[in-house]
Amino acid sequence: MVKFGIEFVPREPYWKILYYAIQAERGGFANLWITDHFNNRNVYVTLTAAAIYTNKITFGPGVTNPYMVNPVFTAQAITTLNELAPGRVVLGMGAGDKTTLDSVGVEMEKPLSAVQESIDIIRKMLSGESVAYKGEVFSTAGAKFLFKPKGKVPVYVGAQGPKMLALAGKIGDGVLINACHPKDVELAVSCVKEGVDSAGKKLSEVDVAAYTSCSVHEDIKKANKAAVPVVSFIVAGSPPQLLERHGIDVRKAEEIKEALKANDWGRAFGGVTPEMIAAFSVCGTPDMCIERIAQLLKSGISQFVVGSPIGANVREAISLISAKIIPNFKT
Amino acid sequence: MDYRKLVEAIPVAKRELLSNKLVDLIFSSKNDEKMPSQLANTILHYWQNDILISEPGLTALLEAAVLLEPDKTVAAFTESELLDFAGQIKEVAVAKT
Repeated sequence: MVKFGIEFVPREPYWKILYYAIQAERGGFANLWITDHFNNRNVYVTLTAAAIYTNKITFGPGVTNPYMVNPVFTAQAITTLNELAPGRVVLGMGAGDKTTLDSVGVEMEKPLSAVQESIDIIRKMLSGESVAYKGEVFSTAGAKFLFKPKGKVPVYVGAQGPKMLALAGKIGDGVLINACHPKDVELAVSCVKEGVDSAGKKLSEVDVAAYTSCSVHEDIKKANKAAVPVVSFIVAGSPPQLLERHGIDVRKAEEIKEALKANDWGRAFGGVTPEMIAAFSVCGTPDMCIERIAQLLKSGISQFVVGSPIGANVREAISLISAKIIPNFKT
Repeated sequence: MDYRKLVEAIPVAKRELLSNKLVDLIFSSKNDEKMPSQLANTILHYWQNDILISEPGLTALLEAAVLLEPDKTVAAFTESELLDFAGQIKEVAVAKT
């Protein structure tokens, strides 16, 4: 049975995120993911509050990265959270996004090694070891907690490219696939499977999640309108081969990118076509979303993450998903 | 204004609808920076316990709604056919602006 996760961006005030988190837990969501960007509110403060205000939902950063936050600090934050809410904590780790890293002058050096090494270090720290580690990107010299960390924390790897997807399958307890369209998710799962096979595991041992941009509303126009800004950024950041796979004119994507750079929102959002929305979001009425999620499930995913924007009205969208979509996948 | 006294006078049958309207109003407000943390925490406490339609829950929502969206709060009471209450809230809203 597929699990439903939901992502919140703590650009919004903490009280809105917590209200939605409580609502999502009550509505049948199993996972809560909070994004980690330095220019939003802090992910671990938000997660700590979420731990206090919820009872059973699993939660974690979705995703943090090892460039902005040193792995030993991530290990410390995660194990402390796991004391607060034992067994409910997961860690989402990815390479980060280049635009954000560039804005603080941090280079995305050897992303595959950085992700793998950071997860190695974090796992060793969480097991209470003294960690002497010499990697290509990260090194530690006997780093150890002065307390005994408790419990296991599953690590999910956020991935989009084939190499990172394979690495995610190889080392992750879960994978967060950044894709919305069945074609992309199917391709991604095949890469994950390569990694899973190389580690001698079974795909069923890994929680494979489609981490989507989702917009749900009873009125398709309102669902689309809410999806457009998010889709414009995804289109602008997508490589040409991905755009071409969906029949999207690369020049149109370039125009959107230029408009976004110039903060010309009208031009950027106006350039988003229905094909772009279909390729880069799960968007529409509950019935339309059910159909798309059912297609995604055929690719082998075990978790569907409802990511930004969620809907034109987040509170209404969570209610709709809880009442009309999630029950459809409970067998 | 004593919000609690006002809420106590609201017919029970109207409270659930009103609570929903006030939550919508608070969450769609562009003035969310006006929300005091202590009041937000109080609302979260009642939401966590699923008692936002209780008198204390509704009182907290009303206080927040008036702070964030005074005119829309008056309109919500008017739409809910709580005209006397709308009048009282309008007085407070005017006094605050």
